[in-house]
Amino acid sequence: MNIETLFMPFQFLFMQNAFFIVLVLSVPTALLSCFLVIKGWALMGDAISHAVLPGIVIAYIAGIPLLIGAFLAGMFCAWSTGFLSENSRIKEDTIMGITFSGMFGLGIVLFVAFETSAHLDHILFGNILGVVRLDIFVALIIACLIIAFFTVFWRDLMLFSFDPIQAKALALPTTLLHYGLLAVLSLAIIATLKAVGLILAIGLFIIPGAIAFLVSNRLSSMLLISVFVNIFSMLGGLYLSFFIDSAPAPTIILLLTVVFILVFCRKYFVDKRKTNIFISGVK
Amino acid sequence: MVNPKCQPTKKIKQMIDVLLEPFSYGYMNSAILVSTIVGGLCAFLSAYLMLRGWSLIGDALAHSVVPGVAGAYLIGLPFAVGAFISGGLAASIILFLNERSGLKSDVVIGIIFTAFFGLGLFIVSLYPMAISIETITMGNILAISYSDTVQLLIIGFVSLFVLLLKWRDLMVVFFDETHARTVGIDPTLLKIIFFTILSASVVAAMQTVGAFLVVAMVVTPGATAYLICDRFPSLILLSVLMGSTTCFIGSYLSFFIDGATGGIIVVLQTLVFIFVFIAAPKYGYLSARAKFKRARQGVENEY
Repeated sequence: MNIETLFMPFQFLFMQNAFFIVLVLSVPTALLSCFLVIKGWALMGDAISHAVLPGIVIAYIAGIPLLIGAFLAGMFCAWSTGFLSENSRIKEDTIMGITFSGMFGLGIVLFVAFETSAHLDHILFGNILGVVRLDIFVALIIACLIIAFFTVFWRDLMLFSFDPIQAKALALPTTLLHYGLLAVLSLAIIATLKAVGLILAIGLFIIPGAIAFLVSNRLSSMLLISVFVNIFSMLGGLYLSFFIDSAPAPTIILLLTVVFILVFCRKYFVDKRKTNIFISGVK
Repeated sequence: MVNPKCQPTKKIKQMIDVLLEPFSYGYMNSAILVSTIVGGLCAFLSAYLMLRGWSLIGDALAHSVVPGVAGAYLIGLPFAVGAFISGGLAASIILFLNERSGLKSDVVIGIIFTAFFGLGLFIVSLYPMAISIETITMGNILAISYSDTVQLLIIGFVSLFVLLLKWRDLMVVFFDETHARTVGIDPTLLKIIFFTILSASVVAAMQTVGAFLVVAMVVTPGATAYLICDRFPSLILLSVLMGSTTCFIGSYLSFFIDGATGGIIVVLQTLVFIFVFIAAPKYGYLSARAKFKRARQGVENEY
Protein backbone atom coordinates (compact mmCIF):
# COMPACT_ATOMS: atom_id res chain seq x y z
CA MET A 1 0.00 0.00 0.00
CA ASN A 2 1.51 3.32 -0.99
CA ILE A 3 0.72 6.89 -0.13
CA GLU A 4 -1.56 7.26 -3.13
CA THR A 5 -3.96 4.62 -1.86
CA LEU A 6 -4.05 6.30 1.52
CA PHE A 7 -5.12 9.55 -0.07
CA MET A 8 -7.53 7.95 -2.47
CA PRO A 9 -10.71 8.71 -0.48
CA PHE A 10 -10.02 12.42 -0.74
CA GLN A 11 -10.05 12.36 -4.51
CA PHE A 12 -13.74 11.64 -4.86
CA LEU A 13 -16.22 14.48 -4.65
CA PHE A 14 -18.78 12.43 -2.67
CA MET A 15 -16.13 11.51 -0.13
CA GLN A 16 -15.00 15.12 0.15
CA ASN A 17 -18.58 16.17 0.79
CA ALA A 18 -19.00 13.40 3.33
CA PHE A 19 -15.81 14.36 5.16
CA PHE A 20 -16.90 17.94 5.24
CA ILE A 21 -20.38 17.32 6.63
CA VAL A 22 -18.95 14.95 9.22
CA LEU A 23 -16.49 17.60 10.33
CA VAL A 24 -19.26 20.17 10.55
CA LEU A 25 -21.49 17.88 12.59
CA SER A 26 -18.91 16.54 14.98
CA VAL A 27 -18.53 19.69 17.08
CA PRO A 28 -22.19 20.48 17.91
CA THR A 29 -23.12 16.86 18.57
CA ALA A 30 -20.15 16.45 20.90
CA LEU A 31 -21.01 19.60 22.87
CA LEU A 32 -24.62 18.55 23.13
CA SER A 33 -23.77 15.03 24.22
CA CYS A 34 -21.90 16.30 27.29
CA PHE A 35 -24.95 18.16 28.53
CA LEU A 36 -27.29 15.28 27.76
CA VAL A 37 -25.08 12.85 29.66
CA ILE A 38 -24.83 15.10 32.69
CA LYS A 39 -28.49 15.99 32.69
CA GLY A 40 -29.60 12.38 32.26
CA TRP A 41 -31.37 13.19 29.04
CA ALA A 42 -29.59 10.56 27.00
CA LEU A 43 -32.83 8.92 26.07
CA MET A 44 -34.46 12.24 25.24
CA GLY A 45 -32.23 12.24 22.16
CA ASP A 46 -33.45 8.75 21.37
CA ALA A 47 -37.08 9.79 21.79
CA ILE A 48 -36.85 12.94 19.73
CA SER A 49 -34.96 11.30 16.92
CA HIS A 50 -37.63 8.62 16.56
CA ALA A 51 -40.41 11.14 16.87
CA VAL A 52 -39.09 13.20 13.98
CA LEU A 53 -40.29 10.60 11.48
CA PRO A 54 -44.01 11.55 11.26
CA GLY A 55 -42.97 15.20 10.89
CA ILE A 56 -40.83 14.33 7.91
CA VAL A 57 -43.53 12.23 6.28
CA ILE A 58 -46.25 14.84 6.85
CA ALA A 59 -43.99 17.60 5.56
CA TYR A 60 -43.32 15.46 2.54
CA ILE A 61 -47.02 14.97 1.88
CA ALA A 62 -47.85 18.62 2.51
CA GLY A 63 -44.94 19.84 0.43
CA ILE A 64 -43.32 22.02 3.08
CA PRO A 65 -39.58 21.79 3.81
CA LEU A 66 -38.78 18.56 5.61
CA LEU A 67 -36.69 20.39 8.18
CA ILE A 68 -39.66 22.34 9.48
CA GLY A 69 -41.79 19.25 9.81
CA ALA A 70 -39.02 17.40 11.57
CA PHE A 71 -38.36 20.24 13.97
CA LEU A 72 -42.02 20.65 14.88
CA ALA A 73 -42.43 16.92 15.43
CA GLY A 74 -39.34 16.81 17.64
CA MET A 75 -40.55 19.69 19.75
CA PHE A 76 -44.03 18.19 19.96
CA CYS A 77 -42.54 14.98 21.31
CA ALA A 78 -40.50 16.85 23.92
CA TRP A 79 -43.44 19.00 24.95
CA SER A 80 -45.94 16.16 25.17
CA THR A 81 -43.51 14.04 27.20
CA GLY A 82 -43.23 16.91 29.68
CA PHE A 83 -46.97 17.52 29.71
CA LEU A 84 -47.95 13.87 30.16
CA SER A 85 -45.48 13.21 32.93
CA GLU A 86 -46.52 16.32 34.82
CA ASN A 87 -50.19 15.39 34.58
CA SER A 88 -50.14 11.68 35.26
CA ARG A 89 -48.65 9.31 37.75
CA ILE A 90 -46.58 7.41 35.20
CA LYS A 91 -42.77 7.59 35.30
CA GLU A 92 -41.12 9.87 32.80
CA ASP A 93 -39.17 7.21 30.94
CA THR A 94 -42.33 5.20 30.42
CA ILE A 95 -44.06 8.27 29.05
CA MET A 96 -41.12 8.87 26.76
CA GLY A 97 -41.39 5.33 25.44
CA ILE A 98 -45.09 5.76 24.78
CA THR A 99 -44.75 9.11 23.06
CA PHE A 100 -41.92 8.34 20.73
CA SER A 101 -43.05 4.88 19.77
CA GLY A 102 -46.54 6.22 19.10
CA MET A 103 -45.18 8.96 16.89
CA PHE A 104 -42.80 6.60 15.13
CA GLY A 105 -45.66 4.17 14.50
CA LEU A 106 -47.75 7.00 13.10
CA GLY A 107 -44.87 7.96 10.83
CA ILE A 108 -44.63 4.44 9.48
CA VAL A 109 -48.36 4.12 8.92
CA LEU A 110 -48.43 7.47 7.09
CA PHE A 111 -45.40 6.45 5.09
CA VAL A 112 -47.09 3.25 3.94
CA ALA A 113 -50.52 4.78 3.45
CA PHE A 114 -49.35 7.68 1.28
CA GLU A 115 -46.87 6.28 -1.14
CA THR A 116 -44.12 8.84 -0.99
CA SER A 117 -41.08 8.64 -3.17
CA ALA A 118 -38.75 9.25 -0.23
CA HIS A 119 -36.56 6.35 0.79
CA LEU A 120 -37.39 5.18 4.26
CA ASP A 121 -33.91 3.68 4.39
CA HIS A 122 -32.30 7.04 3.88
CA ILE A 123 -34.37 8.65 6.59
CA LEU A 124 -33.67 5.85 9.04
CA PHE A 125 -30.07 5.06 8.28
CA GLY A 126 -28.80 8.17 6.56
CA ASN A 127 -27.15 8.48 3.20
CA ILE A 128 -23.86 10.13 3.87
CA LEU A 129 -22.33 9.39 0.50
CA GLY A 130 -25.25 11.10 -1.23
CA VAL A 131 -24.75 14.38 0.60
CA VAL A 132 -25.01 17.43 -1.66
CA ARG A 133 -23.85 20.97 -1.16
CA LEU A 134 -27.25 22.10 0.15
CA ASP A 135 -27.12 19.54 2.95
CA ILE A 136 -23.68 20.75 3.98
CA PHE A 137 -24.94 24.31 3.93
CA VAL A 138 -27.92 23.49 6.15
CA ALA A 139 -25.73 21.49 8.53
CA LEU A 140 -23.25 24.37 8.68
CA ILE A 141 -25.94 26.89 9.60
CA ILE A 142 -27.42 24.61 12.27
CA ALA A 143 -23.95 23.86 13.64
CA CYS A 144 -23.17 27.59 13.91
CA LEU A 145 -26.48 28.21 15.69
CA ILE A 146 -25.83 25.44 18.17
CA ILE A 147 -22.24 26.47 18.85
CA ALA A 148 -23.40 30.06 19.34
CA PHE A 149 -26.08 28.89 21.77
CA PHE A 150 -23.52 26.98 23.80
CA THR A 151 -20.93 29.78 23.78
CA VAL A 152 -23.47 32.25 25.12
CA PHE A 153 -25.25 30.02 27.61
CA TRP A 154 -22.80 27.33 28.61
CA ARG A 155 -22.37 28.53 32.17
CA ASP A 156 -26.11 28.80 32.69
CA LEU A 157 -26.56 25.42 31.09
CA MET A 158 -23.90 23.94 33.30
CA LEU A 159 -25.67 25.05 36.45
CA PHE A 160 -29.01 24.05 34.99
CA SER A 161 -27.73 20.56 34.18
CA PHE A 162 -26.04 19.92 37.50
CA ASP A 163 -28.52 21.56 39.82
CA PRO A 164 -31.77 22.81 38.32
CA ILE A 165 -33.12 23.90 41.69
CA GLN A 166 -30.22 26.20 42.40
CA ALA A 167 -30.48 27.52 38.87
CA LYS A 168 -34.05 28.45 39.58
CA ALA A 169 -33.12 29.99 42.91
CA LEU A 170 -30.57 32.19 41.15
CA ALA A 171 -33.40 33.41 38.88
CA LEU A 172 -31.99 31.82 35.75
CA PRO A 173 -34.66 31.40 33.08
CA THR A 174 -34.90 27.62 33.60
CA THR A 175 -37.94 27.08 31.39
CA LEU A 176 -36.18 28.92 28.59
CA LEU A 177 -33.03 26.87 29.11
CA HIS A 178 -35.04 23.65 29.22
CA TYR A 179 -36.83 24.29 25.96
CA GLY A 180 -33.76 25.92 24.45
CA LEU A 181 -31.78 22.76 25.04
CA LEU A 182 -34.59 20.67 23.60
CA ALA A 183 -34.81 22.91 20.54
CA VAL A 184 -31.06 22.66 20.05
CA LEU A 185 -31.34 18.89 20.35
CA SER A 186 -34.09 18.75 17.73
CA LEU A 187 -32.06 20.97 15.42
CA ALA A 188 -28.98 18.82 15.87
CA ILE A 189 -30.92 15.66 15.13
CA ILE A 190 -32.23 17.19 11.93
CA ALA A 191 -28.72 18.19 10.92
CA THR A 192 -27.41 14.67 11.46
CA LEU A 193 -30.38 13.08 9.71
CA LYS A 194 -28.79 13.12 6.29
CA ALA A 195 -25.45 11.91 7.53
CA VAL A 196 -26.17 9.08 9.95
CA GLY A 197 -29.94 8.72 9.95
CA LEU A 198 -32.48 8.71 12.74
CA ILE A 199 -31.44 5.59 14.52
CA LEU A 200 -27.71 5.97 14.81
CA ALA A 201 -27.85 9.71 15.50
CA ILE A 202 -28.51 8.78 19.12
CA GLY A 203 -25.02 7.32 19.32
CA LEU A 204 -23.51 10.68 18.45
CA PHE A 205 -25.56 12.31 21.20
CA ILE A 206 -24.50 9.92 23.92
CA ILE A 207 -21.18 8.19 23.34
CA PRO A 208 -18.79 11.20 23.03
CA GLY A 209 -20.19 12.73 26.20
CA ALA A 210 -20.02 9.41 28.03
CA ILE A 211 -16.38 8.93 27.01
CA ALA A 212 -15.51 12.43 28.22
CA PHE A 213 -17.44 11.79 31.43
CA LEU A 214 -15.28 8.76 32.16
CA VAL A 215 -12.08 10.71 31.56
CA SER A 216 -12.70 14.03 33.20
CA ASN A 217 -14.42 15.58 36.16
CA ARG A 218 -14.60 19.13 34.83
CA LEU A 219 -17.22 20.23 32.36
CA SER A 220 -14.83 22.46 30.43
CA SER A 221 -12.37 19.65 29.78
CA MET A 222 -15.25 17.25 29.18
CA LEU A 223 -16.46 19.47 26.36
CA LEU A 224 -12.99 19.61 24.81
CA ILE A 225 -12.38 15.89 25.09
CA SER A 226 -15.71 14.94 23.64
CA VAL A 227 -15.20 17.30 20.69
CA PHE A 228 -11.80 15.79 19.93
CA VAL A 229 -12.99 12.22 20.33
CA ASN A 230 -15.95 12.91 18.10
CA ILE A 231 -13.92 14.56 15.35
CA PHE A 232 -11.43 11.71 15.44
CA SER A 233 -14.03 8.95 15.35
CA MET A 234 -16.26 10.52 12.75
CA LEU A 235 -13.44 11.28 10.32
CA GLY A 236 -11.73 7.99 11.13
CA GLY A 237 -14.91 5.95 10.75
CA LEU A 238 -15.70 7.51 7.41
CA TYR A 239 -12.13 7.01 6.20
CA LEU A 240 -12.11 3.39 7.34
CA SER A 241 -15.48 2.62 5.77
CA PHE A 242 -14.06 3.58 2.39
CA PHE A 243 -11.45 0.86 2.60
CA ILE A 244 -13.41 -1.97 4.16
CA ASP A 245 -16.42 -1.13 2.02
CA SER A 246 -18.87 -0.87 4.91
CA ALA A 247 -21.69 1.55 5.57
CA PRO A 248 -20.13 4.76 6.97
CA ALA A 249 -22.62 5.58 9.73
CA PRO A 250 -22.40 2.25 11.58
CA THR A 251 -18.62 2.33 11.18
CA ILE A 252 -18.51 5.71 12.88
CA ILE A 253 -20.66 4.44 15.74
CA LEU A 254 -18.51 1.33 16.10
CA LEU A 255 -15.33 3.39 16.23
CA LEU A 256 -16.87 5.54 18.96
CA THR A 257 -17.82 2.38 20.80
CA VAL A 258 -14.27 1.04 20.55
CA VAL A 259 -12.95 4.29 22.03
CA PHE A 260 -15.53 3.99 24.80
CA ILE A 261 -14.47 0.43 25.57
CA LEU A 262 -10.78 1.42 25.69
CA VAL A 263 -11.47 4.36 27.97
CA PHE A 264 -13.69 2.27 30.19
CA CYS A 265 -11.07 -0.48 30.51
CA ARG A 266 -8.42 2.05 31.41
CA LYS A 267 -10.64 3.57 34.07
CA TYR A 268 -11.62 0.13 35.33
CA PHE A 269 -8.02 -1.00 35.81
CA VAL A 270 -6.85 2.31 37.25
CA ASP A 271 -9.70 2.18 39.76
CA LYS A 272 -8.83 -1.39 40.61
CA ARG A 273 -5.17 -0.56 41.16
CA LYS A 274 -6.14 2.37 43.36
CA THR A 275 -8.35 0.11 45.45
CA ASN A 276 -5.53 -2.43 45.72
CA ILE A 277 -3.04 0.23 46.83
CA PHE A 278 -5.60 1.48 49.31
CA ILE A 279 -6.22 -2.01 50.66
CA SER A 280 -2.50 -2.81 50.99
CA GLY A 281 -2.03 0.58 52.67
CA VAL A 282 -4.71 -0.28 55.20
CA LYS A 283 -3.08 -3.64 55.88
CA MET B 1 -83.94 -7.45 -12.05
CA VAL B 2 -83.14 -7.34 -8.39
CA ASN B 3 -85.99 -6.81 -6.04
CA PRO B 4 -85.39 -3.33 -4.57
CA LYS B 5 -86.39 -4.63 -1.16
CA CYS B 6 -83.46 -7.01 -1.15
CA GLN B 7 -80.81 -4.42 -1.84
CA PRO B 8 -79.99 -3.25 1.67
CA THR B 9 -79.52 -6.78 2.89
CA LYS B 10 -77.36 -7.47 -0.10
CA LYS B 11 -75.26 -4.45 0.68
CA ILE B 12 -74.88 -5.50 4.28
CA LYS B 13 -73.94 -8.96 3.12
CA GLN B 14 -71.33 -7.50 0.82
CA MET B 15 -69.98 -5.40 3.61
CA ILE B 16 -69.77 -8.37 5.92
CA ASP B 17 -67.99 -10.26 3.19
CA VAL B 18 -65.44 -7.49 2.90
CA LEU B 19 -65.04 -7.32 6.65
CA LEU B 20 -64.60 -11.06 6.95
CA GLU B 21 -62.27 -11.28 3.98
CA PRO B 22 -59.07 -11.16 6.06
CA PHE B 23 -60.11 -14.31 7.88
CA SER B 24 -60.38 -16.26 4.65
CA TYR B 25 -56.63 -16.14 4.11
CA GLY B 26 -54.40 -18.55 5.96
CA TYR B 27 -51.59 -16.05 6.37
CA MET B 28 -53.92 -13.48 7.88
CA ASN B 29 -55.26 -15.99 10.36
CA SER B 30 -51.83 -16.99 11.54
CA ALA B 31 -50.67 -13.35 11.62
CA ILE B 32 -53.64 -12.33 13.73
CA LEU B 33 -53.25 -15.31 16.05
CA VAL B 34 -49.52 -14.79 16.55
CA SER B 35 -49.71 -11.06 17.08
CA THR B 36 -52.58 -11.40 19.55
CA ILE B 37 -50.61 -13.83 21.68
CA VAL B 38 -47.36 -11.89 21.42
CA GLY B 39 -49.26 -8.69 22.24
CA GLY B 40 -50.71 -10.26 25.34
CA LEU B 41 -47.33 -11.58 26.43
CA CYS B 42 -45.59 -8.23 25.98
CA ALA B 43 -48.40 -6.50 27.81
CA PHE B 44 -47.97 -8.91 30.72
CA LEU B 45 -44.29 -7.98 30.93
CA SER B 46 -45.02 -4.28 30.52
CA ALA B 47 -46.89 -4.25 33.81
CA TYR B 48 -43.67 -5.27 35.59
CA LEU B 49 -41.26 -3.14 33.59
CA MET B 50 -43.23 -0.02 34.28
CA LEU B 51 -43.14 -0.61 38.03
CA ARG B 52 -39.37 -0.44 38.14
CA GLY B 53 -38.83 2.30 35.55
CA TRP B 54 -37.22 -0.26 33.27
CA SER B 55 -39.40 0.56 30.33
CA LEU B 56 -36.60 1.54 28.03
CA ILE B 57 -34.67 -1.68 28.61
CA GLY B 58 -37.25 -3.27 26.34
CA ASP B 59 -36.38 -0.74 23.67
CA ALA B 60 -32.68 -1.33 24.13
CA LEU B 61 -33.11 -5.11 23.88
CA ALA B 62 -35.11 -4.74 20.70
CA HIS B 63 -32.36 -2.75 19.04
CA SER B 64 -29.67 -5.01 20.40
CA VAL B 65 -30.95 -8.18 18.77
CA VAL B 66 -30.14 -6.89 15.28
CA PRO B 67 -26.47 -8.00 15.20
CA GLY B 68 -27.56 -11.39 16.53
CA VAL B 69 -30.03 -11.78 13.72
CA ALA B 70 -27.46 -10.70 11.13
CA GLY B 71 -24.81 -12.98 12.64
CA ALA B 72 -27.20 -15.91 12.77
CA TYR B 73 -28.00 -15.51 9.09
CA LEU B 74 -24.32 -15.34 8.34
CA ILE B 75 -23.47 -18.67 9.93
CA GLY B 76 -26.80 -20.32 9.26
CA LEU B 77 -28.21 -20.51 12.77
CA PRO B 78 -31.93 -20.02 13.40
CA PHE B 79 -32.95 -16.40 13.53
CA ALA B 80 -34.28 -16.60 17.08
CA VAL B 81 -31.12 -18.11 18.57
CA GLY B 82 -28.85 -15.31 17.40
CA ALA B 83 -31.34 -12.68 18.48
CA PHE B 84 -31.68 -14.26 21.86
CA ILE B 85 -27.92 -14.49 22.43
CA SER B 86 -27.18 -10.91 21.46
CA GLY B 87 -30.16 -9.65 23.45
CA GLY B 88 -28.91 -11.48 26.52
CA LEU B 89 -25.39 -10.18 25.96
CA ALA B 90 -26.66 -6.61 25.70
CA ALA B 91 -28.72 -6.96 28.86
CA SER B 92 -25.79 -8.31 30.85
CA ILE B 93 -23.43 -5.59 29.58
CA ILE B 94 -25.99 -2.98 30.57
CA LEU B 95 -26.22 -4.43 34.06
CA PHE B 96 -22.41 -4.65 34.34
CA LEU B 97 -21.77 -1.08 33.17
CA ASN B 98 -24.53 0.19 35.41
CA GLU B 99 -22.64 -1.07 38.40
CA ARG B 100 -19.09 -0.30 37.34
CA SER B 101 -18.94 2.78 35.13
CA GLY B 102 -20.55 5.47 37.27
CA LEU B 103 -22.54 6.60 34.26
CA LYS B 104 -26.27 7.14 34.62
CA SER B 105 -28.27 4.11 33.62
CA ASP B 106 -30.02 5.83 30.73
CA VAL B 107 -26.64 6.74 29.27
CA VAL B 108 -25.52 3.13 29.57
CA ILE B 109 -28.68 1.88 27.88
CA GLY B 110 -28.23 4.41 25.11
CA ILE B 111 -24.61 3.49 24.47
CA ILE B 112 -25.21 -0.23 24.43
CA PHE B 113 -28.14 -0.27 22.13
CA THR B 114 -26.65 2.13 19.59
CA ALA B 115 -23.42 0.18 19.67
CA PHE B 116 -25.22 -3.11 19.09
CA PHE B 117 -27.47 -1.67 16.46
CA GLY B 118 -24.50 -0.09 14.73
CA LEU B 119 -22.72 -3.44 14.80
CA GLY B 120 -25.75 -5.07 13.22
CA LEU B 121 -25.92 -2.56 10.39
CA PHE B 122 -22.17 -2.84 9.97
CA ILE B 123 -22.38 -6.62 9.52
CA VAL B 124 -25.26 -6.27 7.08
CA SER B 125 -23.37 -3.68 5.05
CA LEU B 126 -20.26 -5.85 4.87
CA TYR B 127 -22.04 -9.05 3.98
CA PRO B 128 -25.16 -8.20 2.02
CA MET B 129 -27.65 -10.91 2.82
CA ALA B 130 -30.98 -12.13 1.66
CA ILE B 131 -32.79 -10.75 4.68
CA SER B 132 -33.62 -7.12 4.20
CA ILE B 133 -32.91 -4.85 7.10
CA GLU B 134 -36.47 -3.63 6.78
CA THR B 135 -37.90 -6.97 7.90
CA ILE B 136 -35.87 -6.71 11.08
CA THR B 137 -36.72 -3.13 11.75
CA MET B 138 -40.31 -3.04 10.55
CA GLY B 139 -41.39 -6.61 11.18
CA ASN B 140 -43.24 -8.57 8.60
CA ILE B 141 -45.94 -10.56 10.28
CA LEU B 142 -48.03 -10.88 7.14
CA ALA B 143 -45.32 -12.90 5.42
CA ILE B 144 -44.60 -15.12 8.39
CA SER B 145 -43.71 -18.70 7.51
CA TYR B 146 -45.31 -21.78 8.99
CA SER B 147 -42.24 -22.79 10.98
CA ASP B 148 -41.90 -19.26 12.37
CA THR B 149 -45.56 -19.32 13.40
CA VAL B 150 -45.03 -22.53 15.32
CA GLN B 151 -41.83 -21.20 16.86
CA LEU B 152 -43.52 -17.97 17.99
CA LEU B 153 -46.54 -19.80 19.36
CA ILE B 154 -44.28 -22.08 21.38
CA ILE B 155 -42.30 -19.10 22.72
CA GLY B 156 -45.57 -17.35 23.53
CA PHE B 157 -47.23 -20.23 25.33
CA VAL B 158 -44.18 -21.30 27.32
CA SER B 159 -43.53 -17.72 28.47
CA LEU B 160 -47.16 -17.16 29.38
CA PHE B 161 -47.19 -20.44 31.28
CA VAL B 162 -44.09 -19.50 33.30
CA LEU B 163 -45.51 -16.04 33.97
CA LEU B 164 -48.80 -17.48 35.16
CA LEU B 165 -46.93 -19.77 37.54
CA LYS B 166 -44.59 -17.12 38.85
CA TRP B 167 -46.48 -13.84 38.62
CA ARG B 168 -46.96 -13.54 42.35
CA ASP B 169 -43.29 -14.12 43.16
CA LEU B 170 -42.24 -11.71 40.44
CA MET B 171 -44.59 -9.11 41.86
CA VAL B 172 -42.97 -9.43 45.27
CA VAL B 173 -39.50 -9.12 43.76
CA PHE B 174 -40.42 -6.08 41.70
CA PHE B 175 -42.10 -4.29 44.55
CA ASP B 176 -39.63 -5.03 47.31
CA GLU B 177 -36.53 -7.16 46.90
CA THR B 178 -35.64 -7.24 50.56
CA HIS B 179 -39.08 -8.47 51.46
CA ALA B 180 -38.83 -11.09 48.73
CA ARG B 181 -35.60 -12.36 50.27
CA THR B 182 -37.08 -12.58 53.74
CA VAL B 183 -40.02 -14.66 52.56
CA GLY B 184 -37.62 -17.06 50.86
CA ILE B 185 -37.78 -16.01 47.23
CA ASP B 186 -34.54 -15.78 45.30
CA PRO B 187 -34.68 -12.38 43.53
CA THR B 188 -31.67 -13.04 41.31
CA LEU B 189 -33.14 -16.24 39.96
CA LEU B 190 -36.49 -14.61 39.31
CA LYS B 191 -34.85 -11.65 37.61
CA ILE B 192 -32.95 -14.01 35.34
CA ILE B 193 -36.19 -15.80 34.52
CA PHE B 194 -37.88 -12.49 33.87
CA PHE B 195 -35.17 -11.18 31.56
CA THR B 196 -35.04 -14.47 29.68
CA ILE B 197 -38.76 -14.24 29.04
CA LEU B 198 -38.38 -10.59 28.13
CA SER B 199 -35.66 -11.34 25.57
CA ALA B 200 -37.72 -14.17 24.12
CA SER B 201 -40.79 -12.01 23.79
CA VAL B 202 -38.83 -9.11 22.35
CA VAL B 203 -37.56 -11.49 19.69
CA ALA B 204 -41.12 -12.62 19.09
CA ALA B 205 -42.49 -9.10 19.03
CA MET B 206 -39.78 -8.05 16.64
CA GLN B 207 -41.26 -10.29 13.99
CA THR B 208 -44.69 -8.85 14.61
CA VAL B 209 -44.06 -5.13 14.79
CA GLY B 210 -40.34 -4.78 14.10
CA ALA B 211 -37.42 -3.77 16.27
CA PHE B 212 -38.32 -0.09 16.45
CA LEU B 213 -41.83 -0.53 17.69
CA VAL B 214 -41.29 -3.28 20.23
CA VAL B 215 -40.92 -0.59 22.86
CA ALA B 216 -44.58 0.34 22.50
CA MET B 217 -45.65 -3.25 23.07
CA VAL B 218 -43.67 -3.49 26.31
CA VAL B 219 -44.53 -0.03 27.62
CA THR B 220 -47.90 1.29 26.55
CA PRO B 221 -50.34 -1.39 27.78
CA GLY B 222 -48.90 -1.43 31.30
CA ALA B 223 -48.88 2.35 31.54
CA THR B 224 -52.45 2.56 30.31
CA ALA B 225 -53.64 0.03 32.83
CA TYR B 226 -51.71 1.86 35.55
CA LEU B 227 -53.91 4.91 34.97
CA ILE B 228 -56.99 2.87 35.75
CA CYS B 229 -56.10 0.18 38.26
CA ASP B 230 -54.76 0.32 41.78
CA ARG B 231 -54.31 -3.38 42.32
CA PHE B 232 -51.54 -5.26 40.59
CA PRO B 233 -53.49 -8.38 39.53
CA SER B 234 -56.17 -6.30 37.89
CA LEU B 235 -53.46 -4.14 36.34
CA ILE B 236 -51.93 -7.21 34.71
CA LEU B 237 -55.30 -8.42 33.52
CA LEU B 238 -56.28 -5.11 31.98
CA SER B 239 -52.88 -4.65 30.43
CA VAL B 240 -52.96 -8.10 28.80
CA LEU B 241 -56.49 -7.47 27.61
CA MET B 242 -55.48 -4.18 26.04
CA GLY B 243 -52.29 -5.54 24.50
CA SER B 244 -53.92 -8.52 22.85
CA THR B 245 -57.03 -6.62 21.70
CA THR B 246 -55.03 -3.86 20.05
CA CYS B 247 -52.78 -6.42 18.39
CA PHE B 248 -55.80 -8.36 17.17
CA ILE B 249 -57.53 -5.29 15.74
CA GLY B 250 -54.28 -3.84 14.43
CA SER B 251 -53.24 -6.88 12.46
CA TYR B 252 -56.82 -7.23 11.20
CA LEU B 253 -56.87 -3.61 10.01
CA SER B 254 -53.49 -3.91 8.37
CA PHE B 255 -55.09 -6.17 5.78
CA PHE B 256 -56.97 -3.17 4.43
CA ILE B 257 -54.05 -0.78 4.18
CA ASP B 258 -51.42 -3.16 2.90
CA GLY B 259 -48.91 -3.85 5.60
CA ALA B 260 -47.44 -1.59 8.27
CA THR B 261 -48.97 -3.95 10.82
CA GLY B 262 -46.57 -2.77 13.51
CA GLY B 263 -47.33 0.87 12.89
CA ILE B 264 -51.07 0.33 13.08
CA ILE B 265 -50.86 -1.71 16.27
CA VAL B 266 -48.71 0.93 17.94
CA VAL B 267 -50.89 3.81 16.79
CA LEU B 268 -53.93 1.98 18.17
CA GLN B 269 -52.22 1.44 21.51
CA THR B 270 -51.21 5.08 21.66
CA LEU B 271 -54.76 6.20 20.89
CA VAL B 272 -56.12 4.01 23.68
CA PHE B 273 -53.50 5.47 26.01
CA ILE B 274 -54.42 9.05 25.09
CA PHE B 275 -58.10 8.31 25.61
CA VAL B 276 -57.45 6.74 29.00
CA PHE B 277 -55.11 9.57 29.97
CA ILE B 278 -57.88 12.09 29.33
CA ALA B 279 -60.85 10.18 30.60
CA ALA B 280 -59.67 7.70 33.25
CA PRO B 281 -62.02 7.79 36.23
CA LYS B 282 -59.48 8.38 38.97
CA TYR B 283 -56.11 9.31 37.52
CA GLY B 284 -57.25 10.87 34.25
CA TYR B 285 -56.55 14.43 33.23
CA LEU B 286 -60.18 15.56 33.38
CA SER B 287 -60.90 14.06 36.76
CA ALA B 288 -57.67 15.52 38.15
CA ARG B 289 -58.70 18.94 36.89
CA ALA B 290 -62.15 18.54 38.41
CA LYS B 291 -60.63 17.47 41.70
CA PHE B 292 -58.32 20.48 41.65
CA LYS B 293 -61.23 22.81 40.97
CA ARG B 294 -63.29 21.30 43.77
CA ALA B 295 -60.38 21.60 46.18
CA ARG B 296 -59.85 25.24 45.26
CA GLN B 297 -63.53 25.98 45.65
CA GLY B 298 -63.45 24.32 49.05
CA VAL B 299 -60.56 26.59 50.06
CA GLU B 300 -62.31 29.67 48.71
CA ASN B 301 -65.51 28.81 50.55
CA GLU B 302 -63.63 28.56 53.79
CA TYR B 303 -62.39 32.12 53.61
